[in-house]
Amino acid sequence: MLAYALATGIVFGLYFALVGIGMNLVFGVMRIVNLAHGDFIMLGAFSAFWLLAVLHLPPPAAIVLGFVAFFLAGLPVYYALVPRLARAREPEMLSLILFFGLSQTIEALAAMLFGNSERSIPGRLLGRGPVHLLGQTMPRAWVYAAAVSLAMLGLVWLYLHRTRLGRQTRAIMAARQEAVAIGIDIHRISAIAFGIGAGLAAVAGVFAPFMLGSFTPALGIPLDLTSFAVIVIGALGNPLGTVLGGVIFGVTLMLMRAYLSSFADLLPDLVLILVLLVRPAGLLGRQVRRA
Amino acid sequence: MAEGLLELRGVAKRFGGFQALAGVDLAVAAGEIVGLIGPNGSGKTTLINIASGVLAADAGDIRLAGRSLLHLPAHRRAALGLNRTFQVPRPFPTLTVRQNLEVAVPGAAAGRDPAALLDAVELAPFAGRRAGELTSVQQKLLDLARALATGPRVLLVDELATGLTPAELARVATRLRALAAEGLGLIVVEHLMAFIDRITDRVVVMNAGQVLFRGTLREAAKDRQVVDVFLGAPEPAA
Repeated sequence: MLAYALATGIVFGLYFALVGIGMNLVFGVMRIVNLAHGDFIMLGAFSAFWLLAVLHLPPPAAIVLGFVAFFLAGLPVYYALVPRLARAREPEMLSLILFFGLSQTIEALAAMLFGNSERSIPGRLLGRGPVHLLGQTMPRAWVYAAAVSLAMLGLVWLYLHRTRLGRQTRAIMAARQEAVAIGIDIHRISAIAFGIGAGLAAVAGVFAPFMLGSFTPALGIPLDLTSFAVIVIGALGNPLGTVLGGVIFGVTLMLMRAYLSSFADLLPDLVLILVLLVRPAGLLGRQVRRA
Repeated sequence: MAEGLLELRGVAKRFGGFQALAGVDLAVAAGEIVGLIGPNGSGKTTLINIASGVLAADAGDIRLAGRSLLHLPAHRRAALGLNRTFQVPRPFPTLTVRQNLEVAVPGAAAGRDPAALLDAVELAPFAGRRAGELTSVQQKLLDLARALATGPRVLLVDELATGLTPAELARVATRLRALAAEGLGLIVVEHLMAFIDRITDRVVVMNAGQVLFRGTLREAAKDRQVVDVFLGAPEPAA
């Protein structure tokens, strides 16, 4: 049972890293907390439902379409909300309120348009039969999701470390005023980061029905909590710390489900409280303001 | 006030009840180095922050080659050729020294070659290292090189000399003079008068958010008001 919990914990951990990395990227660049992130994932799940289960598109097409559509949708959302926030006296606090409002609006609209009933997507749409991984047997959809999550995390790393835009993004994360002083257009870079965050949320949403079993319009807030827990464990503001946070969260969740199943749902809250009390900068500590 | 490449006219700034700047005029021509001196709190760095777009002015105008920059964000001012260094430089610590220059966006004048700039500030041997590993003095020199990487026409230098050894000071002074000879206009905020004396053509002395004196440093040293500001006014006779 321990080996199974560890193996599935790593698989789910990679997925949870994907769930949280968009929120952490946005926080790292803009110093705002996007509480609508979980709702973007929820909308991604609805997109997957239509693209995979209704239109019967192949999963890679749903992933690419989801990313591109949400990336493009994220740009006007950024320009409509964030530049105004940035001019406020306390943008971090104001962002909590504003994005909570956006989250509630998206959830309410989704409930009105799609209804509150639970939906699911058959796991076979991501391939039939179980997979043997890390000495354990698990559903193919889980491994598919973990592999795509790993690939997306790798692409984020490549973007941040191997492209000029990504390096400019890291420059803004490290020293905002100095980045502006050398001519970097902070809103252009931030809008791209916001779009990427939304795109990553969409991809996480595509796999949410497979990893979480089912989804409703109310999925957003629980996923926000999961994202918080994952990025606080790793390092707030450091997107790549999210990978560490995701794996630790995934393994801990699976161990809890194996040995203390009644308390497993409390895990995000417990982890948040514990990390904030003991090591508020996250496990990567001083890296908190760096990328 | 002389016509300049960069002109600040009647710049005012208030922080709550504190008048940080009260109608300051300042200009620098191409190829000129102007020293901006004054006691702490006189408004020098506030003026630099307003010129570079970090802070917004309450009143006045900022013109670069005749074009008003007043409503342009900082990155657009940099693109047009106005750049600055920082009193407390912050490199991008996880980028290499070379990448710190490569992320700069070349402005109106073509950006300068990062390798040549690193060579000029003696950081070429550290080009592949993470900038966070540099000493504080090296970080100041990197800040200067990074500002030059945008190809500015006017450079605002905020207390670059602090902490540099005499040999480093001499090399930086030579470098700044060379930049001016190439046509760059420089405004240098500094407390180290020997350094100011070595590099500037003229100085502007500020006190309490106003310009107190304009002229050469030697003339300033003989000005009664300037001496009073720096050394304190003598007690009135009993």
